[in-house]
Amino acid sequence: MRSPALAIAWEFGRRHRWGLAALVAYLLLMVATDLLVLDQAAVRSDGSRDLPVHVAPQFAARVTVPVMTFTYYFLAVFSFGFTGNLAARQSMYPARMFTLPVMTAGLAFWPMLYGTAAMASLWIAAVRFVVWPSGMDLPLIWPPLFAVAVLGWTQVLMWLPYGLPGLRVVVAVAWLSAIGAVVVTAVELEVPESVMVAFLSPQVPLAYLCARLGVARARRGDIPDWRETFARLGAIRDVLVRPRDHFSSAARAQLWFEWRLHGRSLPAWVAILAPFELAFLWVPGTPALVVYTLFGVLVTPPFMAAFVAQGARKPGSHASDAEGLPPFIATRPLGTAALIAAKLTMSVWSALVTWLLVLAAIPIALTLSDTWPVVIEHAREVSDFFGAPRAVVIGLLGLSGLVVWTWKQLVQSLYVGLSGRAWMTRLSTGVALTVLIFIEPIIAWIRESSEVRVALWNALPWILAALVCVKTSAASWIATRLYHSRLLSDRTLVSGTVCWLVAVFALYGLSVWFVSTPLIPRYFLLLIAILAVPLARVSAAPLALAWNRHR
Amino acid sequence: MRETVITVSELTRRFGATTALASVSLSLPRGAVYGLVGANGAGKTTLIKHILGLLKAQRGSVRVFGLDPVADPVGVLSRIGYLSEERDLPGWMRVDELIRYSRAFYPAWDDAYAEELRQTFALDATANVGNLSKGQKAQLGLLLALAYRPELLVLDEPSSGLDPVVRRDIVEAIVRTIAHEGRTVLFSSHLLDEVERVADHVTMMNEGKIVLSAPLAAIKESHRVGERVPSLDEIFVAHVGTRTAPATGG
Repeated sequence: MRSPALAIAWEFGRRHRWGLAALVAYLLLMVATDLLVLDQAAVRSDGSRDLPVHVAPQFAARVTVPVMTFTYYFLAVFSFGFTGNLAARQSMYPARMFTLPVMTAGLAFWPMLYGTAAMASLWIAAVRFVVWPSGMDLPLIWPPLFAVAVLGWTQVLMWLPYGLPGLRVVVAVAWLSAIGAVVVTAVELEVPESVMVAFLSPQVPLAYLCARLGVARARRGDIPDWRETFARLGAIRDVLVRPRDHFSSAARAQLWFEWRLHGRSLPAWVAILAPFELAFLWVPGTPALVVYTLFGVLVTPPFMAAFVAQGARKPGSHASDAEGLPPFIATRPLGTAALIAAKLTMSVWSALVTWLLVLAAIPIALTLSDTWPVVIEHAREVSDFFGAPRAVVIGLLGLSGLVVWTWKQLVQSLYVGLSGRAWMTRLSTGVALTVLIFIEPIIAWIRESSEVRVALWNALPWILAALVCVKTSAASWIATRLYHSRLLSDRTLVSGTVCWLVAVFALYGLSVWFVSTPLIPRYFLLLIAILAVPLARVSAAPLALAWNRHR
Repeated sequence: MRETVITVSELTRRFGATTALASVSLSLPRGAVYGLVGANGAGKTTLIKHILGLLKAQRGSVRVFGLDPVADPVGVLSRIGYLSEERDLPGWMRVDELIRYSRAFYPAWDDAYAEELRQTFALDATANVGNLSKGQKAQLGLLLALAYRPELLVLDEPSSGLDPVVRRDIVEAIVRTIAHEGRTVLFSSHLLDEVERVADHVTMMNEGKIVLSAPLAAIKESHRVGERVPSLDEIFVAHVGTRTAPATGG
């Protein structure tokens, strides 16, 4: 390997070989589908194929989920997002590469070129092999160009050094949202492709120039420091929130550690995203837009929690890709269960603070945008339909459900990351992607076929019973392992089981009160309650951490 | 007979096809300063990780204060002060925050001693750990390992990153003080002159095996050639056939 360009390419390929293998497998699958399924569809006069109604959504899902997943993956890979610290002031460009005998222009150019090639290939292949054959109309030039431009700007934003910690996140969200908003508006206005191309084409060389500037500054250690400017705010904070001299217990100290490390991420992300979402309240439109906007804001915490959980489940205290538990944490004289308890408690606080922010932001935005009447009107309709007490209870239950869902998103996959095994992370990601890819076609299949719906409805109790069996069997196995390993005390095991049973029966009672129809038998509601309350995966977290801590 | 702090019996550890530890047995009496020497990859850190419970014995057993460090991590780790070779302190904390956080885990934490060490090492309390130099991180790690006066101090390459003055005048003084107080020190190092000055018991490792383990004085006496007493470096070369690393490191 005699050229730096090849060496950098080799590093990308070697490090991300599994992701690239998955991409190749997906593209092969698409080509095979194209040949085996779409070729059999009737060809229209314009060359596109006449697919059955239920096939088109399946193909839309097969394109949307994997292509977007690989797009985000490429954004992270080619901006070195997996190894850097997003919140740090320093550039995320790997410092080890600054000592290579390569011109700064080359350091910026090669990763951008490889990223551009990969991103463009992905989008062109998706459009050529899936979108066009399935009868959907999508231009070939501007969507890949847009993806490449977003990648270029992401690289710039990740490689630039910043004056304040966390500023990169704010700037990245604002800048990329602005580009996205321009493109979405252009699509809505049905701007011709030539105009789109004219707008997007200059972005790529412009991004390269900015990236080169960012890498050059990072390479010579030219990192702006605006912290002194904000030091007065810190002094005010120190006066207002006087730090305690000491923690009352090791558990409190560990909770503080988890909060500082992971707990603030979700509130911070939601605080950054919510204003952009709530800005739609000022867009003149139908009352439905207000409802959609509020719905979007309300599902943002659980949605973002799923992403934040990827970081929170990392066992280490650094934003590295190392899977193992760092000695600093592993040698804390604290039991494995106490380490997990700190994570779970931190997640509760994180979810609550996030929802406090959302619940404070929504009324303010509704007041400032004069859209309260729309909300009041909808609330009145709900109240008229269900009756006032029931409507209030439904509202409170819905809100509680969203808070619990947010917390569940934060903790349910803890065991994967805490196990410290890269293969478990890959397997879990693979399973999640597979489900995402196939869920939409399956739903479309069920929606289109009444026979399938009837068969499914008849079999639903058995399906639910089987899932309950799987869940309780897994939970029993985990409880047995926890008991034998002495990771949890007998008292904790018993009280945990009792709490879970109370939660299940409380949910069951509420379901019976709310869904009072003979069409749905009560055992059916009980099965759903058992499946809804988290048990097995959360209980597996101490086992996973112990497996990692004592290898 | 002195009480035994660490007992390792027939410990074997493999990583895939590589045998990191091959039937290692070791016994550390209380109050000893125990030097663990060996070339890179000899198995020193793997042995230390077993003592801390970070690795589970595949074969054999490890007991620290009579306890299994895997089964009872709290019981063992609360009595050990550990300085990791990786210096993996959380970079996002300030020095004073890290001290405050660490203090919560050890009831015997000595605030006055911690402050004395901080001033000795000239560590700025408000500095971010991530901005400290490698040597300052080692000093901070040492502070955290010492401030609760642990019964057993485990130092993995403590001199790595430290300048010669700190290494000789501070670390060695601390290690001797601990030993005089009847506490135990286990430290791994590739700087044989340092081990020779500080340790009173030396264990040499090579390719996962203990090739020599005895009191330093006995080792030197047994290798005496006439009037000439060989250095530990020469003895190491005689047993292992290679030098550990340049003796100027750190």
